[in-house]
Amino acid sequence: MKAFEYAAPATPELALQALDGKDSEALSGGTDLISRMKDYVTSPARVVYLKEIKALAGISGDASKDGLTIGAGTTLAALLAHKGLKDAYPALHQAASEVGTPQIKNMATIGGNLLQRPRCWYYRAGNGLLAMKDGKSLVRDGDNRYHAIFMTDGNALFVSPSSLAVPLVALGAKVTILGAKGERTIPVDQLYTVPKKDGDRELTIGADELLVKIVVPAAKGKNASYEARQKQAHDWPLVMASVHLEMDGDKVSDAKVVLYGVAPIPYRSEAAEAALRGKTVTMDSAAAAADAAVSGAKPLSRNAYKVPLTKTVVKRAVLAAVGNRYWEA
Amino acid sequence: MTENDPKPKIGASRRDFLRGSSLAAATAVLTQQVQAEVAAEAANLQAADAKMLSGEVSLSLDVNGKAMTCTVEPRSTLLDTLRDRLDVTGPKRVCDRASCGACTTIVDGAPIYSCTTLAVSCSGKKIETLESFDTGERGVPHAFHQHDGLMCGYCTPGFVTACKAMLDTNPSPTLEEVRKGLDGNICRCGTYVGVLEAALAAAKAMKGA
Amino acid sequence: MAGWPESPRLIGTEIPRLDGLAKASGRAKYPSDMNPPGLLHGAMLWSPHAHAKIKSIDLTPAEKSPGVKAVVGVMKEGATVRYQGEVIAAVAAETEEKARDAVRAIKIEFEVLPHVVTEAQAMDPKSPEVFKGRGLANNTRKGNVQKNGDPEGGLEKADVKIEGHYSAPVITHVCLEPHGLTAKWDGPDKLTAWASTQAVQVTANELAGRFEIPATNVTVLTDVMGGGFGSKFGADLWGLLAAELSKKADGKPVKMFLDRAHEHLAAGNRPSAFAHVRLGATKDGKITGMIAETHGTGGASGGANFPLPYVYLVENRSRSHSDVFVNGGGARAMRAPGHPQGCIIMEAAMDDLADALGMDPLEFRLKNLGERDVVNQGGAPAPINRTKVYQDQVRIGAELIGWAKRKPRGTNGAGPIKKGYGMALHQWGGGGAPDKQVECMINPDGSVEVRSATQDIGTGARTILAIIAAEVLGLEVKEITSNIGNSTFKPGQASGGSTTTPSMSPPCYNAVLAARAELFEKIAPKLGAEPGDLSLAKGQVLVKGEAKMSWKDACRQLGMVPITTLGKFTPGLSANGVGGCQFAEVDVDVETGVVKVVKIVAVQDSGLIIDKMTWNSQVYGGIIGGLNYGLFEERVMDPTTGVMLNADMELYKLAGASDIPEIVVRAYETEEMKARGVIGIGEPPTIATAAAIGNAVTNAVGVRVPHWPMSPMNVLNALASNQGKA
Repeated sequence: MKAFEYAAPATPELALQALDGKDSEALSGGTDLISRMKDYVTSPARVVYLKEIKALAGISGDASKDGLTIGAGTTLAALLAHKGLKDAYPALHQAASEVGTPQIKNMATIGGNLLQRPRCWYYRAGNGLLAMKDGKSLVRDGDNRYHAIFMTDGNALFVSPSSLAVPLVALGAKVTILGAKGERTIPVDQLYTVPKKDGDRELTIGADELLVKIVVPAAKGKNASYEARQKQAHDWPLVMASVHLEMDGDKVSDAKVVLYGVAPIPYRSEAAEAALRGKTVTMDSAAAAADAAVSGAKPLSRNAYKVPLTKTVVKRAVLAAVGNRYWEA
Repeated sequence: MTENDPKPKIGASRRDFLRGSSLAAATAVLTQQVQAEVAAEAANLQAADAKMLSGEVSLSLDVNGKAMTCTVEPRSTLLDTLRDRLDVTGPKRVCDRASCGACTTIVDGAPIYSCTTLAVSCSGKKIETLESFDTGERGVPHAFHQHDGLMCGYCTPGFVTACKAMLDTNPSPTLEEVRKGLDGNICRCGTYVGVLEAALAAAKAMKGA
Repeated sequence: MAGWPESPRLIGTEIPRLDGLAKASGRAKYPSDMNPPGLLHGAMLWSPHAHAKIKSIDLTPAEKSPGVKAVVGVMKEGATVRYQGEVIAAVAAETEEKARDAVRAIKIEFEVLPHVVTEAQAMDPKSPEVFKGRGLANNTRKGNVQKNGDPEGGLEKADVKIEGHYSAPVITHVCLEPHGLTAKWDGPDKLTAWASTQAVQVTANELAGRFEIPATNVTVLTDVMGGGFGSKFGADLWGLLAAELSKKADGKPVKMFLDRAHEHLAAGNRPSAFAHVRLGATKDGKITGMIAETHGTGGASGGANFPLPYVYLVENRSRSHSDVFVNGGGARAMRAPGHPQGCIIMEAAMDDLADALGMDPLEFRLKNLGERDVVNQGGAPAPINRTKVYQDQVRIGAELIGWAKRKPRGTNGAGPIKKGYGMALHQWGGGGAPDKQVECMINPDGSVEVRSATQDIGTGARTILAIIAAEVLGLEVKEITSNIGNSTFKPGQASGGSTTTPSMSPPCYNAVLAARAELFEKIAPKLGAEPGDLSLAKGQVLVKGEAKMSWKDACRQLGMVPITTLGKFTPGLSANGVGGCQFAEVDVDVETGVVKVVKIVAVQDSGLIIDKMTWNSQVYGGIIGGLNYGLFEERVMDPTTGVMLNADMELYKLAGASDIPEIVVRAYETEEMKARGVIGIGEPPTIATAAAIGNAVTNAVGVRVPHWPMSPMNVLNALASNQGKA
């Protein structure tokens, strides 16, 4: 890790002041940033520690009525301890409970989870986000078992690392960002973009901006997440799906299906959503949605296994939303 | 680099704007109690410009109830500070990347990975390592010893610390809860069977059963 | 010579390890915990490239870097590095942060050369030959064909034949305490090192040899150490560098331990294994022939062979093995070197053939054990027939796992979760080295010490010696000081190959017996008895079975002079050659490929068990190591950039608490086994687990999953390729 100067401001405005300048990094839980700094992937001249800012932590609102406002500095442990989260947003609760370890949940914040950098092992080895060498993609020609199966015509082949972004997109959550020009509020999916060329970032938030809070609207229907991973203990999901189903009687009137582990952004499967609209959720309709979800998949050389895996997590998330956990029978 | 080096692009008027807006932003999030704290902090803002630390800094830490002082750099992790500067070598450095748990340390009551925590961020916090734990029959170390929840023992400080922290918040865990509570730690010798037994035994012993 | 006590009080019971509380309370000081005054921190520059020539190197910026006290170059301009992680230079500085800064300040230019890092890449005729001068073709050293009987004819005679391709990847040791040591010069020719090693004396000799100082002037200390698994048998280059840096820095101590990535890259690994196997049998299940072509990589240093056929009697067989050389760190011995690979390949083929025969794989295995498989031949007591041991063990294991519930391959119900059962057999040599010694001291204050230059790598070796002494002297284990981990003591066994306990127990026993005899000689007159009338129990000296004097009072009779005895190895107290079997029950989700191991059963013999508690821990640990091999571990190399992609502990996956199944361990501890004496237990229980898990997964999902580990990727790919065929 390179030497840096360090500030631990107590207020958001002092943090913004400290972050102003191209070579600063905001530090919260540290499990991502400190590791990247140790590997010299990121070497800021200044680190601004955000956890002294009490204004960024805390949860308000009533999950069962009008939704929750979650401070970006809220730890995952505090999020999971919030009463009502599990009942109103099982999709978010499930995803959060599967992140990391007890220690990571104590350290990591929801804001840090949303803004962590990709875990792509080519990126972490110092090859840049697109991992291009001599005009060729290292990922495409290399070991891409953990990489994308959608949007693979481009060169951004990493997968978006935040497993909380996925349920938050499904639930229609928004984030508030504070910057020099004031405050802006955008849907969670707009935090992410697909980098096109070397030096582009996958995050739309500026290095001199501060993620302040996440506003999760009241859930309009049923929601659930399902993730598949190799280990039962600490591991990253291979793929995950979050669904949010608005119901009209026993029929789905509107659906959101969002995928983790398949694309460089939290990936909305409009095909799966369309397949669910107007349907009663059954094994068959869930399977049809799952088939639709992978219809445009273009896996890389080593990750075709993610196609059946994605089908499974979509099917299971849809069925879990209506309380059918057939795989546990 | 000088401390308190003001960033040229930031002017007073913008700072005023920010103060208002961030409080507005925060208001929606916070409980009343925290709002009051924020307001108090805002009142002191004039003096509270973010202090920059760089180079070598003197740091005082509250470790196992003792005030300990040493010289660190902002980049020094809590783990390396404990081990290299303060000779508190219970926590171990193994993965050094927040994966294995050998460095687990309790900070303000919560177990965390000290390998990815900056020492300077721990000023004013209560730091506990396993050296402070009860080594008697009601303590977690005793249970690990009696149930052979260790072999080479290098992961053991992390497991013992994670176990103690878990039992402090959940004194009567099920086996499944014990597993989840210790999932942030990795053992290479494969002592998990003894570890799980030890954790359940420690839960009983701590209650005096 | 005396045999082991017939009705022991302590031997074979469950006794917590002596250093357990120190380890569990953070008080035990590991070599990497040592902070002697004036300590400097070492760091190394290692090659970021898999293969490169050093065009230029300038150490001056490191020498001028703040806080730096010494810099040592290892590789000069023009030298070639052959793997990522190969050491180029080292520095010592006041803090770790400064040492790392100094390493990065070194000015170095590489001419990157073509590399091969995977087996397929190395063997591709289009790839460059990267190891010139070793007589390789396609970076491969072809071994001779080992032939027995008539393999082709045997296969032709078979009623049923299978042909399979199986593989297991390179895995690394991942010792939790990294390799390294802290070195300190006390004058120009006297060196002390706190080393994380499995062999204090080997380490001391290497240091003495490197610096051409008398061996007697080097002290290597290893009070406790954080895991070795076969990879820590010497000072290693980094240990020598620590001592050299210390010398350059006027003797100030230098601590040099590897970082985690470097551990994966340069500190050893288990070679990969790839096999093309043809195996045939008669319809009543007798193997008629086997032809196997195998290869694997031990990195830049070769050594990837493994035993095959394994366990079973195959009279008509042919085996050819090739070592593939890649630009990767060299293999080192890893817990039962070669055996887990051989077990995976053999047992997968055995299962596939049993399935093709429509035969219970358990019965098929029993039919193909040799009639007599004699181990400990020529040793005392009598040799044993391991085939009979296997037959017993398999019966016990089958009962414990519930083998009767097993269904034929692929008939495991309609739901997504398929249950499967698998099994595998293994064997190991072990046994004691005949040249080790233990000293025993009985002091006039009653304190007792046994000492030798062996070390405890987590197996419980320290406690074993104390148990033996306490058994003989009628004392409690905690009353014995077991002083090991010091290279200046009498020759002790290096901790490898499951040889420590069988090597050290006999000399320990003999030393303590001699000390007891000497004590009896000295105090018998004072008790008005013959030495032969005396015995020891519960801290008392007994005359003809009657307590006459406390242990402490008896020792006080020694006056000022302690009793000091030296024990040597005698035959008959230890033996070699063990067998075991393991069974696995798994639940496989065929829609996700996720494998959950539900239960493992291990039945294992290892002769006379000294401490049942640490013995059990060794077996549990071996199984969990095998579970990691079966489910998670894999070194992933990038063919394009030549680097290891998962040199961490996150994407290099290892089981956590939630991954641990129910584990049932059964010691096969008959009177016949106990009579064999002490045999080690470190390696045997880690051999069969991955094979048994793979077979259970295959039983569950209905198609062979041919590539280890049993990851969702490998399971789903196997299912998909089968669908493709159907």
